[in-house]
Amino acid sequence: MNWKMFNTRKALTPSLIAIVGFLTVCPVVMLVFGSFSEGIGAFGKFTLAKYIQSYTDPAFAGIIVNTVIFTLGSGFVATILALFLAYLNTRTNIPFKFLFRIISIIPMMIPHILFSVSWVLLLNPSNGLINLFLREILNLQNSPFNIYTLRGMILVEGLLDLPIAYLILAPAMAAFDVSLEESSKVSGASNLRTLTKVTLPVLRPAILASFILVIVRSLASFAVPSIIGMPGRIYVLATHIYRIIATGFAADYGMAAAVGMSALAASITLIYLYRYLTSESEKYVTISSRGYRPTLIELKNAKYPLFGIVGLLSFVLIVLPVLVLFYTSLVPYSMVPGAKAFSMMNWKHWLEVLRDPISLLSLKNSVFLGIVGATLGVILAIFVSYVIVKVRTPAAGLLESISFLSFSFPGIVIGVGFMWFFVRTPLYATIWSLLIGYIATYLPYGIRPLTSAFVQIHSHLEESSRVCGGGTFYTLRRIVIPLLIPGVVSGWILMATMFVRELTLSVVLSRPGTEVLAVQILRFAEDGLWGKLSALGIMMIFISTAIVIIASLIGMKMTRVAEID
Amino acid sequence: MEIRIKNLSKDFFSEGKRIKALSNVNLTIPANQIFTLLGPSGCGKTTLLRSIVGLETPDSGEIAIGEEIVWAKEKNIFVPPEKRRLSMVFQTYAIWPHMTVFDNVAYPLQTRKEAKDEIRAKVQKTLRFVQLEGFENRPATKLSGGQQQRVALARALVPEPKVILFDEPLSNLDAKLREETRKELRSFLTKLKITAVYVTHDRIEALSLSDAIAVMKDGRMVEIGTPKKIYFDSDHRFVADFIGRANLINGKVIAFEDSYTIVDSSMGTISCQKSPNASVGDAVTLCIRPEFIKVLETDTSEESNIFRGRVESLLFVGDAYEGEIVIADTRLITRIEPTTSVAEGDELILSFDPNHCFVLSK
Repeated sequence: MNWKMFNTRKALTPSLIAIVGFLTVCPVVMLVFGSFSEGIGAFGKFTLAKYIQSYTDPAFAGIIVNTVIFTLGSGFVATILALFLAYLNTRTNIPFKFLFRIISIIPMMIPHILFSVSWVLLLNPSNGLINLFLREILNLQNSPFNIYTLRGMILVEGLLDLPIAYLILAPAMAAFDVSLEESSKVSGASNLRTLTKVTLPVLRPAILASFILVIVRSLASFAVPSIIGMPGRIYVLATHIYRIIATGFAADYGMAAAVGMSALAASITLIYLYRYLTSESEKYVTISSRGYRPTLIELKNAKYPLFGIVGLLSFVLIVLPVLVLFYTSLVPYSMVPGAKAFSMMNWKHWLEVLRDPISLLSLKNSVFLGIVGATLGVILAIFVSYVIVKVRTPAAGLLESISFLSFSFPGIVIGVGFMWFFVRTPLYATIWSLLIGYIATYLPYGIRPLTSAFVQIHSHLEESSRVCGGGTFYTLRRIVIPLLIPGVVSGWILMATMFVRELTLSVVLSRPGTEVLAVQILRFAEDGLWGKLSALGIMMIFISTAIVIIASLIGMKMTRVAEID
Repeated sequence: MEIRIKNLSKDFFSEGKRIKALSNVNLTIPANQIFTLLGPSGCGKTTLLRSIVGLETPDSGEIAIGEEIVWAKEKNIFVPPEKRRLSMVFQTYAIWPHMTVFDNVAYPLQTRKEAKDEIRAKVQKTLRFVQLEGFENRPATKLSGGQQQRVALARALVPEPKVILFDEPLSNLDAKLREETRKELRSFLTKLKITAVYVTHDRIEALSLSDAIAVMKDGRMVEIGTPKKIYFDSDHRFVADFIGRANLINGKVIAFEDSYTIVDSSMGTISCQKSPNASVGDAVTLCIRPEFIKVLETDTSEESNIFRGRVESLLFVGDAYEGEIVIADTRLITRIEPTTSVAEGDELILSFDPNHCFVLSK
């Protein structure tokens, strides 16, 4: 047939493996080499000095303890809350179920750094709004709450990872074979006994999987440890690495790499455990009674109190952070909301931000990275997903594994790895180094929705078009592309919003001239400029939201509204 | 239009093994008939259909539709599917989920760049024909399985093709709907002057829909004939067994009488249909369909083929008993009138008409 096309097709998989392999494997390889090198200027000269220096540091044990407590604690908080919500939503007659969808999606749109800042603004010991309020009302000498503690970090990280845990647990709960519970009840067990003796044990693999994924996320988390941990002098691995390269004494990328290796190793181990558990849970939770809706448990008197908790959670997760930031951006300094505060409100912080050249530059850079980066990323994701779903050779399997590799890499560690690479190229300190790093780290976010879109395009849909008289390009235009657009749009939106808010990779790669929004916000936080921070933060949320809305509208325009079930 | 297939072969490679999907197939599908390709899964029937429509490229041979050769390895001819002007109904229906019913059906006309009013008129006429009037603006995914099936049919009929191909179009419907749709399809197709090539593994579908059936096995044509010929008088053991429930009995020809062939078997001497191909002494296989075996009240020795047997098992299935009856060491499956008073372990007298017992030559 068409030999030229055949050859291009053949070359597609290897070239994609080369590109994606470079993006995901290169930083890791550079990290390993870097950790054994004498310094960023002396690459390749083998030494163990950096390892000895890092791991014999007397403070290191404390950092590991903090990290373990922080990650495990966040895992517990997020998983238990998610379990509670998933159970209420799938198995009881709790009212206003749409709230659960909102809880599971919207918080992902609020950047973690801003969420952390809003809790600092509420609960910091010197002028947190809740503390000020309680001090005024109860006439206290000292603030009752201090967010700058491990407990504070765990609470905020747990809330941030709640949506992820929920998205794992809710489907498992929904796919649960109800007859297992019914037989327990027929045997005379109460609802509570059935829950603890049957439901939870059967769901154990899913619960463990969610727990482990939250641990991986909190291990990689930088926003909470930097905004909440560092002011309280509580360091975890991520902030320890940051301290080595960004604050105080001269940046030591060799030591950062050596420390990063243990974070990377822990993360990869956990992800393998997670994969194992999810495959176990697929074996465990079977959908046997098809088309049979589980009977919902009647909550009776507990209905509205329980709903109250859900309502409060959604308020705390979604409304409160934005509200606090907006309020802070308008008042001259921290004060309890009231007549006095309202009389003093003005746009001073906003105007200052808009006059600050670095803030403006960071706005420009982040929007550029969001739009250009997501566009390039989605184009790459389209090809990768096509090969993963439609080519299905062993090479395509390899491509799939390396594409999802970056899921298990903590951002700051990858940042250090990329630093070792970029310093040797003209890309160093350019916006393109950030762009490449972003695409490498967030490629899976683009691939996921696109693989589902490709799976949906059954080969018969294309073949049928050919038989109906549509040539290759006609079929592409009228069948393949319209069916792909929803996947392209959601992949693009996911990547663009991730890029606009990106913090962990950027704190390593961003240099003067390539400031981005989240890094600028971190700088404001370090300097305690909460008003300016809040104004810039609200702008960031506004930009993300605008990107989502515009992209969805364009997507809807491009394809006629398809009712795809 | 007539479809002529010459020496068509195609191999597949699966897990390092070479599988013959089509092995030197020669076939002429006559114009304006419903022609069914029947066979177990993996027999090559779908590969043959997809080769005709152009979605599969054979390794060697030639395919002609009407006067036009659409594929010939040696002459280096390959007409792509979109140029063959055929229609096809897919097993999955292949309804495009992002389009309405109207757009799905209008698609083949749109690819041919027909005028808008013309398209609208033709689509409406076709939707009326398949009884989907008023569904034009429904999203295609908001239809039931049976309705989607009719959309797929409408889309295949709308360009008024000379040939329409069906790839197991009823296999995704539930049993009751499948029966209704089968009848509908038969009446739709007989109303139109059209060549239909129909692929199925369902023998009832094949028997009830077709003007002719080609039975395939392991990439080869085994036997071609009308439904009655295939059912009552097939030449091949494989075909007799595949097309319906059959008692296959091994025996040896011992004589030829007037209009019967006499065969000796382990259950005794059986008179059966005259078979011109066999000669005395040949080892043969006989085929008796369960529904032709009668249970007699008394031994009226006027009938031929009378045997005594014991009821081994009996299953009441509503319109009949399905019984297994042992005669000597031969087991016969029979259908017994549901009103007969009979129980497991009973001795029965059976008989069957020699005309319904036929000799399989291959």
